[in-house]
Amino acid sequence: MMKLAIIGGGPSAFYVAGRIFSLLKNAPIKIHMYERRWSPYGLVRYGVAPDHPEVKNCIHKFEETARDPRFRFFGNVFVGHPPKNEEDKRLLSRNVVLPVDSLLGHYTHLLVATGCPFPRFHLKLPRRSPWCLPALDIVHWYTYNQLSRHRPPPLENSPHISIIGAGNVALDVARILLTPPSQLEKYDVPEHVLEVLHRSKLRHVSIIARRGPLDAAFTAKELREMMNLPDSAMIPIPKNVLDEAAKSEMTRQQSRILQLLQKGSKNVPGSTQKTWSIDFFRNPVKLETIEKKELLGEAPDLPLNLKLAHTEVDPKTRQARETQEFTNLRTSLVVTSLGFQAEPHDYGRIANSYEGENYDKRLHYIRTDAGGRLLRPISTDHPILDKSGLESAPPELLKPVDRVYASGWASVGAKGVLASTMMNAYNVAETIVSDWLASQDKSVSPAADDTLPAGHKGNKVEDLEFPMKSQVNMDSLPEEVKESAHPVFSFDDWKKVDEEEVRRGEERGKERERVDWP
Amino acid sequence: MELRTHQIFHDLCQHGGIERPEPGTGLKLTFKDTKGNLLQEVEANEGDDILSIAHEYDIDLEGACEGSVACSTCHVILPQEYYDVLPEPDDDENDMLDMAFGLTDTSRLGCQVKMTKELDGITVTLPAATRNMFVDGECTSMS
Repeated sequence: MMKLAIIGGGPSAFYVAGRIFSLLKNAPIKIHMYERRWSPYGLVRYGVAPDHPEVKNCIHKFEETARDPRFRFFGNVFVGHPPKNEEDKRLLSRNVVLPVDSLLGHYTHLLVATGCPFPRFHLKLPRRSPWCLPALDIVHWYTYNQLSRHRPPPLENSPHISIIGAGNVALDVARILLTPPSQLEKYDVPEHVLEVLHRSKLRHVSIIARRGPLDAAFTAKELREMMNLPDSAMIPIPKNVLDEAAKSEMTRQQSRILQLLQKGSKNVPGSTQKTWSIDFFRNPVKLETIEKKELLGEAPDLPLNLKLAHTEVDPKTRQARETQEFTNLRTSLVVTSLGFQAEPHDYGRIANSYEGENYDKRLHYIRTDAGGRLLRPISTDHPILDKSGLESAPPELLKPVDRVYASGWASVGAKGVLASTMMNAYNVAETIVSDWLASQDKSVSPAADDTLPAGHKGNKVEDLEFPMKSQVNMDSLPEEVKESAHPVFSFDDWKKVDEEEVRRGEERGKERERVDWP
Repeated sequence: MELRTHQIFHDLCQHGGIERPEPGTGLKLTFKDTKGNLLQEVEANEGDDILSIAHEYDIDLEGACEGSVACSTCHVILPQEYYDVLPEPDDDENDMLDMAFGLTDTSRLGCQVKMTKELDGITVTLPAATRNMFVDGECTSMS
């Protein structure tokens, strides 16, 4: 029997579900997908930049999966504890809240595919202030994310924006803010976003990278798009930075990125209204607001002083270290784009061990084995992360939890493109299916060896019961989903919203016009 | 543990959107996996691209962006002599190949390679992926 609950409704969740269906074409299994938003597709809808519509073509395949009669979608359902703090209460005020314990009794298998929804911050910069915000807030704004604050970035007062971090999200944000809004109108950009972009006074974007051109996390496609921006030019990168990088041995991708940087932008600086730059080997150490009018001088719209430490990269470790030289950068707004991390769930309860047990606070994602089986420690003396917070438990001190899996960014961290998420998901789907087939084969004993490796003391974590039941009613649902004060969105409900968004878009000659709350 | 293994091809609702030629009249392609195992020998018409051909014949090659050069999921490896007769990949294709798994010097995106007479008889290798686990062709029917 397989009745799988998937927590999360993004690309990883859909790719796993689709692969399981295609591997087990005629099997009477069920897959129920629980998604916190009322809409499916996660980062494909709420992450992919609007001017990359072709990336969203994968949705056609996800729709095929959703049409399988063995599939059900439960949108607007938050799986986890009822929120405690006011901020979370407000964000989840219209969600159905489904505690993990209520979910477990109804399923034989569980997949955690909750991605990496939280931005990582810079230790020396405010997390959120009137002058500093995470890039994710801007992505949420232009994708009209219902879990976001919907506060537009202050583009009317920000001629100079400094983006901290050099990944594709940094370039997406820079590109959307620098592209003439008339070119974005045909895409899936909400009207209220276009209005703000039309009023923008932005003249320059500084992308600040802690390390050099060979360490940048962005990819060639995104860099090339920056180089081809119609009304912007790149300030050339200092020759010594490029020459130094060219001396190193490079991968194909690195050398193609370096060539793009050497060639520079299509427009020469001075010929355009707007400019952008990548400032390599710089790390923020302080952000000050200039209070005194006389100190603002001739640039009252650059009220911030961003102090940057110069860095160099250790050629062996590729780590950045500060050189004790500093530069001050006058700017109007700081945007941090430093990666993302998984949710510190207490899915440890599933592993009947301790709070937050499967979540590695150092790695910022859930530990799994190579096949995506969720891991838990075999001994209380060896938690996932030791007390120093520096060392993660080695694989030999972890063991898989029966019939509980994790996939996608929740299990590998926020890295890679859609293709890597797909490969990961197919691998996890194949593990789930092969574990299941093995369990159908009575000759295979499911007993796991719990012996601690020699030399390790400590109390064995007791096997109470397997967290997942082996027999359940295939049609039963958690009470919270059956009866609730808030709506649960089926896939058909979503398709109605989807069609309405496309219809509203057609009226305006664009891809779609998103709705806030259907 | 003995693993019961399975190779069940994807049930694509939409096939490749191309016409199959009359048997014996088309250009020939052979699809193989990384280990050199034969997957299928098929025929296609001039102008058809490798991704569409793979889909038409239910060969397990992904095309997440549906041929718009926005992903690397239809990455294929070609024999050197066939690779050499093709026009060079453009910047957009190279940008995506940068991110392909198991990239080789004769890698291309399947969606960008259109069949010509010169490519008749080509062997297309699907790169190493996760499809190694299910190998023996047994079919699951639990109903």
